[in-house]
Amino acid sequence: MNQLFDAGRWWLLVGKHWSENRKKYTLSLIAIAGLLLFWFIVILAVDGHRGIGTTMQSTTYYFGLFVVGCLYASILFADLGSKTRGLNYLVVPASHLEKLCCSLFYAVILFFACYTAIFYIVDVLVLKTANAIGYSYWAKHHLPTDIFEPQKIVNVFYLPEHSRSDNDLIYLLMTYFVVQSVFILGSIYFAKFSFIKTVIASLLIGLLITFIVGKLIIPILPPGSYHNGMNSYQAYTVKDTPSGDGIMIYSDAATDKLVSLPGWINTILLFLLKFAFAPLFWLAAYFRLKEKEI
Amino acid sequence: MIAIQNLHFAYRKKPVFTGLSLQLQPGHIYGLLGKNGTGKSTLLRNIAGLLFPDKGKIEVLGFTPGKREPSFLQEIFMVPEEFYLPDVPLWHLVQHHAPFYPKFNKAQFEKYIAEFEVPAGSTLQNMSYGQKKKVLISFGLASNASMLLMDEPTNGLDIMSKSQFRKVMAGALDENKCIVISTHQVKDLENLIDRVTIIDEGKILFDQTIGAISRKLSFQISFDSEEVKNALYSESSLRGAAIITTNTEGEESKLDLELLYKAIVLNGAAVTSVFKD
Repeated sequence: MNQLFDAGRWWLLVGKHWSENRKKYTLSLIAIAGLLLFWFIVILAVDGHRGIGTTMQSTTYYFGLFVVGCLYASILFADLGSKTRGLNYLVVPASHLEKLCCSLFYAVILFFACYTAIFYIVDVLVLKTANAIGYSYWAKHHLPTDIFEPQKIVNVFYLPEHSRSDNDLIYLLMTYFVVQSVFILGSIYFAKFSFIKTVIASLLIGLLITFIVGKLIIPILPPGSYHNGMNSYQAYTVKDTPSGDGIMIYSDAATDKLVSLPGWINTILLFLLKFAFAPLFWLAAYFRLKEKEI
Repeated sequence: MIAIQNLHFAYRKKPVFTGLSLQLQPGHIYGLLGKNGTGKSTLLRNIAGLLFPDKGKIEVLGFTPGKREPSFLQEIFMVPEEFYLPDVPLWHLVQHHAPFYPKFNKAQFEKYIAEFEVPAGSTLQNMSYGQKKKVLISFGLASNASMLLMDEPTNGLDIMSKSQFRKVMAGALDENKCIVISTHQVKDLENLIDRVTIIDEGKILFDQTIGAISRKLSFQISFDSEEVKNALYSESSLRGAAIITTNTEGEESKLDLELLYKAIVLNGAAVTSVFKD
């Protein structure tokens, strides 16, 4: 018998998880649909003549995805915070990897698929209705020869009006998975108030990094600023003052020095953001689960 | 089946076990007795792999419990004192939980449920604490796991249910199973266990089979003041003094587990000395 991962056992876990949580999940999805609908109706009621633009649609999508996805992730291992539930969870005859993969299947894959599907169902319904109402209003005030432009349904993974060679929304999506993986790890680490504690811990780590950058790295750099993102650094020109009792720092394209990181470092960093950070946090969650005691 | 060697365990700075060693064999129902807070539950959770020893070694069925491997977990079932069961119908429990235990027997489960008089069509949500506990015990027995760990299983059961529990447990043991019942309600285990292990302050004070106890000790009521004075342990009651003496006649008396427990805790040295020869 494979002690690390067995697909049959994992599928049993998926079925067990569903049987125990299906009411909660169904109600939560209905609540998400209700909140999205309410939000779109508020927008239409407040700013109905402009409708719901693609930017508003994608902003709503990502805001909801980040908030709800991270909230869900933060309760993913809430059972481990309770002695009775945690014991019940740990003694189920399945490996730690299977238990983690089952949770990831629900939180990462299924939640994302369901949330996206619900968003589009609500979005399509609202836009169809808004367009129909908008057209009837528009028809009364325009000539038949004028062309009515209905609101378009957004592609939340691609914004053509902002398109670059590299689509930024993919990075936003990947950032979501990284942030969510932090909350998954937090839900194992923090027995109670996991969401709040993860936010606080992330802020503290962020502050620490800012402190290290601000107090340790910036002082050793010459006067200047980051140029074109964080990949290159523009060192300003430094000259003695004419009187010789001080220095002048100024930017001059002719004399400034530009230090750029090699392109492959940028490629690696983007690769890490897209594909490595989330799995690293999942791996940390796996080891934390293995060492969990109740 | 279970080999515990030199177990050291502490909760932060509070030591619970400092060198505990114990061997448990299949085919027995072990009664793990002790006061509240003496480490009974901690020992069971160490055996189940829910807690990890600070030092020493635990081996259960050839596995290291702390690794919590699936092959180990499907051979061990724990009925904790405080437990959680999901709010699902009973048949859901069988459909979605039972497949994790390869030796689970549905007919056996239904039989135990019937013996415990638990309404089979009900959902766990609508059941009382006692009924839920009986479901968990039934499930544990029907899982046919080689190792059944029960922590205060009779807590929350009414008088009739305790009687049903003893009846069900008595019929559940076979030569491949090892059942460990931890309790401080020693009366509940009378006529059920075949080995008594008394634990106190994280140490094994006493560990003997019921057969050995019956052969070596005599439990009786005495009105003879001299006999009471010379007894290994005595306790006055309205109908004379309940005493434990060395069994010199070779006649087996009815074991009073509660009296034995008190004798071990209060005058352990005298009682255990009888078993040394």
